[in-house]
Amino acid sequence: MRRIPWHLPVLLPLLTLAAPVRAQEPEKSEKPTPKAESPAAERGPGRGNRGNRAGARRRGGARRNRQPVTAITAKFVHPVSGPVIENGVVLVRGERILAVGKQGEVRIPESATTRDFPNGHVYPGLIDAETDAFTDPATQRGGLDAGMALADDLQLRHNRDDSLAAAGITVAYVSAPAGQGAIVRPRREGFEVWEGKEKAGLQLRMTSGPRPTHALQRQQQLDGLKKTFDGLDKYEKAKKDYNKALDKYEKDFAEYLAWHEKNKGKKKAGDGKPADKTESAAPAGRPAGRGPRGRRPVPPGDGKNAEPLTAEEQQTELAFETLLEILAEQNAQDPKPAPPGPKGVAQKPSGKADGKDKKKDGPPKRPSYPKPFKEDPKKETLLAVLEGEMPLRVEAHRPDELRAALHMQRKNDVPLLVLEQAYGAGTVAKELAETGATVVLTEVLPNSMPELYDAFDPCTVPQALHAAGVPFAIATGKARSAPLLPLMAATAVGKGLDAKAALRAITLTPAEILGIQKDTGSLARGKFADLIVCDRPLFDSDSRVLFVLGKGRTEFEGN
Amino acid sequence: MLRCFSLIALGAIALTVPAQAQDLLVKASRIVLAPGTELAPGQLLIRAGKVQYVGDEIPTEARQNARVIDYGKAVITPGFVLAQATLGQDADLAEAAFAFTPDLLAAEAFDPWHEDLDSLAPQGITSFALSPSQRNVAGGIAALAKPGTTKAGDHMGRIAERELHLHLSLNRAARNQQRAPTSLIGALDMLRTVFTAAKSGVQGGPDIAILAQVLDGSRRVFAHADTYTELSGLLDLARDFNFEPVIVGGGDAEKVMPRITEQKAGIVLSTLRPEMRLAQLRLPGKLAAAGVPFAFGGDPKQLRMSAVLAVRHGLDKNAALAAMTRAPAEMLGQETNVGALRTGCAADFNVWSGHPLDLHSSHLASWVDGQLLAGNEPKEDR
Repeated sequence: MRRIPWHLPVLLPLLTLAAPVRAQEPEKSEKPTPKAESPAAERGPGRGNRGNRAGARRRGGARRNRQPVTAITAKFVHPVSGPVIENGVVLVRGERILAVGKQGEVRIPESATTRDFPNGHVYPGLIDAETDAFTDPATQRGGLDAGMALADDLQLRHNRDDSLAAAGITVAYVSAPAGQGAIVRPRREGFEVWEGKEKAGLQLRMTSGPRPTHALQRQQQLDGLKKTFDGLDKYEKAKKDYNKALDKYEKDFAEYLAWHEKNKGKKKAGDGKPADKTESAAPAGRPAGRGPRGRRPVPPGDGKNAEPLTAEEQQTELAFETLLEILAEQNAQDPKPAPPGPKGVAQKPSGKADGKDKKKDGPPKRPSYPKPFKEDPKKETLLAVLEGEMPLRVEAHRPDELRAALHMQRKNDVPLLVLEQAYGAGTVAKELAETGATVVLTEVLPNSMPELYDAFDPCTVPQALHAAGVPFAIATGKARSAPLLPLMAATAVGKGLDAKAALRAITLTPAEILGIQKDTGSLARGKFADLIVCDRPLFDSDSRVLFVLGKGRTEFEGN
Repeated sequence: MLRCFSLIALGAIALTVPAQAQDLLVKASRIVLAPGTELAPGQLLIRAGKVQYVGDEIPTEARQNARVIDYGKAVITPGFVLAQATLGQDADLAEAAFAFTPDLLAAEAFDPWHEDLDSLAPQGITSFALSPSQRNVAGGIAALAKPGTTKAGDHMGRIAERELHLHLSLNRAARNQQRAPTSLIGALDMLRTVFTAAKSGVQGGPDIAILAQVLDGSRRVFAHADTYTELSGLLDLARDFNFEPVIVGGGDAEKVMPRITEQKAGIVLSTLRPEMRLAQLRLPGKLAAAGVPFAFGGDPKQLRMSAVLAVRHGLDKNAALAAMTRAPAEMLGQETNVGALRTGCAADFNVWSGHPLDLHSSHLASWVDGQLLAGNEPKEDR
């Protein structure tokens, strides 16, 4: 019997409510996931209507009603994921898009605020898949390593480099030649880091740039870079071994504690000594020796800040406790006091039979804490890349550099590879298509290459990649070029790329490359209200940005 | 007998037709004769490398006998004119030992086979002013040159006009510690001295003769000046000796805008780049608003991009197109020859898939003097 999807009871009432609007939706393939919905605005009526949560429902309903609806009407709406809508409207509620469709077919609530652009063109907010905006120029010299996150050091430059929003860019991936890039939302007065995308990609530079280099010299350099992932096996094994040892330690220590717990009464009765200190040291609900997150264990001790015992100290403590146990047993059997051992050191039991008895009746040996494992943030990041938690973004220009990056991907099974500034990608387009790598192109402007790169024409690469089926984004690479992002896409159109593909290359495709396509990149119900309005078609040189909405907030308004 | 004579006459006429077949009838959905003047759809009749007729003026007979080049939905604009260039020949366009050589002719250093000429037509540049280097205070006389081809089809440029304007320079490159002048005031003093001599009518050599032509208005002056002090010095000189200069560079032109307007100076702008200051990127728009004639110059490969950047920062598209065609032609005094597609002008034109200043438009072809230099003819010709 087929199971009913768990979310069906939630979605059905939602669909019923939204039916009049959804009928005009241009896009049906990009339904928002329940996770992506705004919890307050998009909560289904079924939720919160349960027993004693009726109050919660009222609050939720009131909150939804309070969220203002804005209707943006324009001559043309370009949803990107669907056909162009003439005389279109985009309804925005809160930070999300409520509906997209034709005027007259989408019902605009009476309470809605209408922004009318009779000759305007509405597009999704532009996504710059690579920029140096908000970064300290010092980081652009490659001073970071893989373990360092650029998001920790983002800042405003207080010049026109900060005005990405005015250029219609609502989302940007900021990067440096090394370190971990972040996804940000440029704002009217600054920026905000996309929650959960503080570490959105690991940067690696596999090029020596436009300098005269010999192919052999480059090969040697690339061979060196290919070893980036070498040694991770050992690191991972050491980490696994440590975790195993930690588990074993927990188990043994639990047994050790259990034995003492069991014999506590006997001991008290025997010599009146207090119970073992360590019994009270372990916090409730968590095994002693395991840290609060389980990954960074705290050595057993009296408190949080207790110093870990050295092996020597542990042995001394163990010997002392063993001695106490032996004395207690002897006292119980023989009232005569036994002579003390030499210098108080415990005597190891000799003889097989004694050993068996010890195992059976004596206290278990107190386990020793495993040798602490030193975590390496750089290697942790590389492991995250190998696990597909973040893409590896490799800057590679020439075909041989691109091939080296692909080789590295194959050798190390890197799940997500993004090639940046791939000026020579046209010649390796088929290989790119086979490996599933994606490309972020910069400098897509006429005659933008330095003299030593005369052989490359980045303007023709988009068409070559499109023909080969390689997903690609067009990006500025530089904050100062932000107003030129649409012109870069336009240049690719001038070199034969389909205009729709070019528009996708600065909206939906970069969203896919960045892994945020469920939330932005096109004008579709449920996505963030990231949109721009222009007075002319976006790719015209004299097109002006009139209005920018980022996550439902007005980020720019032109004259 | 009469019939026989008629047949012979007809035969004779038929023999003359091949000469008429040299004419080209160029068609397109839109032909920009000059910025602001368009034909849609448009037709040009080209004869002997010049525009012979335009639109409805074309006689039926000429229309019938011409070879038709139909570019369909494309847009035809006048070829771009570069108002100042040295095209990689800078070393040969300056006399290093002397700073003041106003009588030298740039045309004499012109290399018609220079490889940089090959790259002009693909950029839409169909004529340019070959100028003396900016490394001399008075470098010499510029020439109008054009890319072209030999009969065998090889690229070979030619000089279209041997003597144009006098080329001066006040910028840093003109000051040299190895010879005078070593400073801006030295350069201005040098110019002031010789202009004074020319004004006083002192009989001198060819140097003074050239300056005298400037003073009597028969020769224009182009002068490199970027900073406020260079621009002020030049404008002072122009005011004192009553000539209307064309400023080359003009980075700080906004600071002296009222004086530029007042003294009717023109400006040939340097290459605009995205990383430039906003004030520089917005300067073309402000010049247009102030009515100052200006042209885009600098790196030939960046000419179109400079105009696009200016449009992006507020300049009207038509004004930008004018700054690449009509305006530089007027500054060079060649408006009857280049920069437009009016009757009598050289048949220098570009073919685009849309507006030339939209980057989504492709450059389809460039024709110079009625010859295809870059791109392709359309397939549907007869």
